[in-house]
Amino acid sequence: MSTTVTPTRPPAPVAPVSRARWVRRIVLLVLVIALFLIPAITRIEGQTLVSNSLLFRFTQMFMLITLASDWNLTGGFTGYVDFGHAVFFGVGAYGTGILMGHGWAFPPALFAGAVFAVVFAYMIGFPTLRLRGPYFSIAMLGTFVAMREIVRVSKGITGGGVGLTLPPYLNRPLFYYLTLILAIIVVGVMWWIRRSEFGASLIAIREDEVGAEMRGIRTTLHKITAFAIAAFFTGLVGGLWAYQNTFIDPDLVFIESRTVELVMMSMLGGLGTVAGPPLGAATIYWMRDVVWKNFADYHLLAEGAILIGIVLFVPAGIMGALGDRSGTSIQRVWKRWMGGAAGEGEP
Amino acid sequence: MTVVRDPSVKPLLEGRGVTKRFGGLVAVQSVDFAVYPQEMVGLIGPNGSGKTTLFDCLSRVQSIDEGRVLFKGIDITSKKPHSVAHLGMARTFQVIRVYRKLTVLENMLVSRQWRGETIWSQLRPSQADTEERARELINFLSLEHLTLEPAGTLSGGQRRLLELGMALMPDPDLILLDEAASGVNPTLVETIKDRIRRLNEERGKAFLIVEHDMRFISDLCTRVYVLNYGEKLAEGTPEEVMEDEAVIEAYFGT
Amino acid sequence: MSEFVQAVINGVMLGGFYAAMMLGFSVIWGVMHVINLAHGEFIMVGAYLTWFLNKEYGWEPFAAIIVVAPVMFLLGYVLQKVLINRVVDRPHLVSLLVTFGLSIIIANVLKLVFTADSRITESSATGFWTVSEDITIPITKSVVLALALVIMISLYLFLQRTKTGKSIRAAAQNKQAARIVGIDIDKIYAITFGICIAITGVAGTMISPIQAIAPFQGPPLTLRAFTITALAGLGSIPGALMGGLTLGLLESFIGIYVDKIGTNLAIVASFALLVVILVTRPQGLFGGLRTDEEPQPL
Repeated sequence: MSTTVTPTRPPAPVAPVSRARWVRRIVLLVLVIALFLIPAITRIEGQTLVSNSLLFRFTQMFMLITLASDWNLTGGFTGYVDFGHAVFFGVGAYGTGILMGHGWAFPPALFAGAVFAVVFAYMIGFPTLRLRGPYFSIAMLGTFVAMREIVRVSKGITGGGVGLTLPPYLNRPLFYYLTLILAIIVVGVMWWIRRSEFGASLIAIREDEVGAEMRGIRTTLHKITAFAIAAFFTGLVGGLWAYQNTFIDPDLVFIESRTVELVMMSMLGGLGTVAGPPLGAATIYWMRDVVWKNFADYHLLAEGAILIGIVLFVPAGIMGALGDRSGTSIQRVWKRWMGGAAGEGEP
Repeated sequence: MTVVRDPSVKPLLEGRGVTKRFGGLVAVQSVDFAVYPQEMVGLIGPNGSGKTTLFDCLSRVQSIDEGRVLFKGIDITSKKPHSVAHLGMARTFQVIRVYRKLTVLENMLVSRQWRGETIWSQLRPSQADTEERARELINFLSLEHLTLEPAGTLSGGQRRLLELGMALMPDPDLILLDEAASGVNPTLVETIKDRIRRLNEERGKAFLIVEHDMRFISDLCTRVYVLNYGEKLAEGTPEEVMEDEAVIEAYFGT
Repeated sequence: MSEFVQAVINGVMLGGFYAAMMLGFSVIWGVMHVINLAHGEFIMVGAYLTWFLNKEYGWEPFAAIIVVAPVMFLLGYVLQKVLINRVVDRPHLVSLLVTFGLSIIIANVLKLVFTADSRITESSATGFWTVSEDITIPITKSVVLALALVIMISLYLFLQRTKTGKSIRAAAQNKQAARIVGIDIDKIYAITFGICIAITGVAGTMISPIQAIAPFQGPPLTLRAFTITALAGLGSIPGALMGGLTLGLLESFIGIYVDKIGTNLAIVASFALLVVILVTRPQGLFGGLRTDEEPQPL
């Protein structure tokens, strides 16, 4: 299989970690098998397998893992911090919803929704990815707000503020497996990209875009490809979410806090790492599920405070705190932004 | 012109009336120049005479207001920076631009040649031969003990060498060196000089070199252009240029 | 024709408000290099404060300024000392994220205190001056416009004439040099932030009688402030006026001529304008306080 180390490539720089690497691999494998078995082994009193609420919560977590990893591809690897990433979620959700309203079956509608998200990413990325730094971030925030209003206004197609109802379909194990597999695929893709020349060029763009361009990296093509890949998977999650929720309206789908969550999760885990965003997503999801749901009124407030706390006090995230053990050497999109605040002084 | 040349050899890089303005200031004024295959050409001039600006125009990070630049006979006057790099022109920078958070090896790998590649082909991990080439160049530049260090931890001179390596990675035909020896200790300067000479002799690379240190230029180059206030003041062999009245006046003032 | 004149009148009034509304955002960015994403939320804080005084004590909304301005100044001063000072002069991303977090906190506190319902204050200065049959000038909005002009002129004079104002401009242009000539940068920053938040809060007072307010209405205002800053250049007050009027007129014309489908499209227009400006003229259209600030790679 392609996921094993290819012998042709001496494992990039680091040599003496093979044992730790195997341990990590085995732990990961056990974890994945356990996740696959959960629907079979959990029984909750008074709930059938199909309505099992634990599965529903896991499904939410898998979606967040996928979304955070997507965000990290542009925000972490490429260094383009996207404050409107949830717009692709919305395009995917509405694409799927609208097509299903026209009688399409779910699988083709889902795929088409993701393709819409990609097309949208190309359209919007072409002007916005020319912008740097905060200008890009704000332009994406603007795209997001604008798209919500456009959806609200286009009543004929989207149902406007009233929203769209999708054919109801309660099958939690199905969504569980779909989102689990999607999350595994996405994390795998990110891992692969990080090892590839494509991923290395993204990091080069983050570190010095002008220099990268002069050294022959087609920066525009690379940026927009990364953007489109992220949009594709985000669109898929959007479509899955829409079908699972059976109802979408502009305020449910285009919700600012979704982007905030993704930024927060990626940062908590470690920006620009493969393992960081999933870790961050899982941590925040379960913290919320276990602790904050008891304080519903305050939970967004707490998230704002946590975001500030992470930025000021743990800028390198969990992966940064763990050191360089994931084998990536780029937890530090940061330090460039933070001006060396995360420890290492800049020369 | 004192340098005798076979007229059938076409120049590798040729500029005709290259002009660059910043607002009212003319940074480069109607400069003609040529670099022939396997030649080492120097570009000197006092501070602010437009050398780096000219380099920036050649590698296309600055637009060219007037004139044309041909590389291998292809007009690159309005090409994008990466296309110029793909054609086989590489450069180093006066202000060092290495990717500090990547290791020396990764820096080299990222700088390999992308010519004609699709994104799909880049989604593979680095090929063994690419890495072999990178390691070979790192050895050539005597940086092998630093292969796995982040470039940010290297000294200024080591970074200059790394930059040279990054420029060589795509196997270019012409390399523009911008102050390759500034801020470098004398032993390393000798290393850099030696490597440049060997690259020219053994691998047939052409160089266009901006440098303040006249000895560096006269040791390496066969021909020199002198810029002053954006205009071409003189050209010739290093010896001729150094005896030129106008050049002496530009450097030492009146 | 009268429709056109009416659109111009509405646009000028809206534009004047926008110009005053974004000053705080633009000056904070220009002086401290902090992009304050909580800007719209600070406007809402000022607006709710006004609403509270209006509702509970029957104050005239515009009279609330005498309370809103000092309270907001204090809030800004303290916030700068406690939080913002930690992100000053750090790369933009840091301040973006911290103020993003701040905006979430403020909006949710407002929701907890005042609930999510829309509110509007009652001004006694209501009604219209009728110019002709179908051209009218709303009185409340005229007061807002007048107030906006007063704020802009005062800020301009403050920055140009007073010692503190000159210190602020010096700090914006060259922090190190300002420090060397004996300016206490931390204090200047705290004062700057205080003044900017005070102006921003007063903008909340101004918006409260002319538009319904709600805890989550900050982001569209922040976005407009950003758009006008991009138009105007950082910290430029004449630029702010030009930029504000441009956006105000644009939205007003969309409102009158296209608005068969919903006023919300105005935000789409202002966003489109933003992207066009950013892509074509990243340094802004009308110059500004600083010239060395350019869209830097983070």
